[in-house]
Amino acid sequence: MLASVDSTSAQAARLAAAGLTSPAWVLAGEQTAGKGRRGRPWASPRGNFYASLVMQPAEPPEQVALRSFAAALALREALVGLTGLPQVFALKWPNDVLLNGGKLAGILLESTGANGRLGNLVIGIGVNLTTAPDPAEVEPGAVTPVSLLAETGLRITPEAFLDALAPAYARWEAVFTTYGFAPLRDEWLRHAARLGQTIRARTGTQTRTGIFETVDATGALVLTTPEGRVAIPAAEVFF
Amino acid sequence: MSKHSTEADVAFIKALAELLNQNDLTELSVKRDYGIDDSLEVRVVKQATVVAAPVAMPAPVALPAPTTVAAAAPAAPVLSEDPAQHPGAVTSPMVGTAYLSAEPGASPFVTIGAIVTEGQTVLIIEAMKTMNHIPAPRAGTVKRILIADGNPVEYGAPLMIIE
Repeated sequence: MLASVDSTSAQAARLAAAGLTSPAWVLAGEQTAGKGRRGRPWASPRGNFYASLVMQPAEPPEQVALRSFAAALALREALVGLTGLPQVFALKWPNDVLLNGGKLAGILLESTGANGRLGNLVIGIGVNLTTAPDPAEVEPGAVTPVSLLAETGLRITPEAFLDALAPAYARWEAVFTTYGFAPLRDEWLRHAARLGQTIRARTGTQTRTGIFETVDATGALVLTTPEGRVAIPAAEVFF
Repeated sequence: MSKHSTEADVAFIKALAELLNQNDLTELSVKRDYGIDDSLEVRVVKQATVVAAPVAMPAPVALPAPTTVAAAAPAAPVLSEDPAQHPGAVTSPMVGTAYLSAEPGASPFVTIGAIVTEGQTVLIIEAMKTMNHIPAPRAGTVKRILIADGNPVEYGAPLMIIE
């Protein structure tokens, strides 16, 4: 475990660039430049979990991206295992894990392989084990941040958390590579937040509102909107 | 009702039209499934203008090979221009959202005229919260950027021309 690093995902990418070829986790006590989606800062004080898994997947990019769901399922499984509270955790498309409806964790994947070139996949995972950002610091309309400690009273160390998460991820990775996306999709839908309800999905250029119908076989979010059904491969979801 | 965007469909059809032209084909049909209950069926046909058959004649089951070759040159392309056929085209390996910079407000990975090395990230395609860094397939100069920041892209859509 690194005491401090700029970003576990940046460190993982550096390890891969230096020639690391087997899957590895990078765990850090704090991050000085933790990043979320589209460069948003991820507050990374001591006590929370910051780790990245780096691997060299062989599949084409659209398959590699489905590991988003493997990571979310592993994260939920680790949390349920550590807390014994299966009912309080839910999933928000594609890979947010919610605790009592609040944002407990974030997952961001970065891949460098495309167009026939093999590359690296880095799965960065942050979990608010002890502290959550001030709600005023997050975007208006976003899910309120929560911490595991404040919601459940349980104090779990980053090391103990990785001891639960790493084997959980390995199991879902094996399911994915052996059986494909279908079992991941089934399990994900069992724990989906707001299924059948109206949600908003903001894409790069527009926001669509509709009933959250399902996740399709490609992992896309399926909404029924006034204009019909739409499958959205990339978006930020709001409730 | 389409779950995928019209622009994406147009890009896909354009790519098919070019495939047709490049390979001297007269007809191409494709069915793509998007999930369990949505699909796109496209049939692209090139009119062999030189061999306009009399309407009264029964249509032949298959075009004789020489006709196909003869038809290739004068047949009007379905679309006036298709970057997907360009030898320097960088195409999208997946469906997603394209980003020209690492984050909003940051300088773009490349601009027109930029010299790139093989493997250098030229843009990002996001799907399922996975940021896919798209590498330059070869060293060269960025001649054209065919997508706008934040726009949806389809599989196979031309993204940039690098030569």
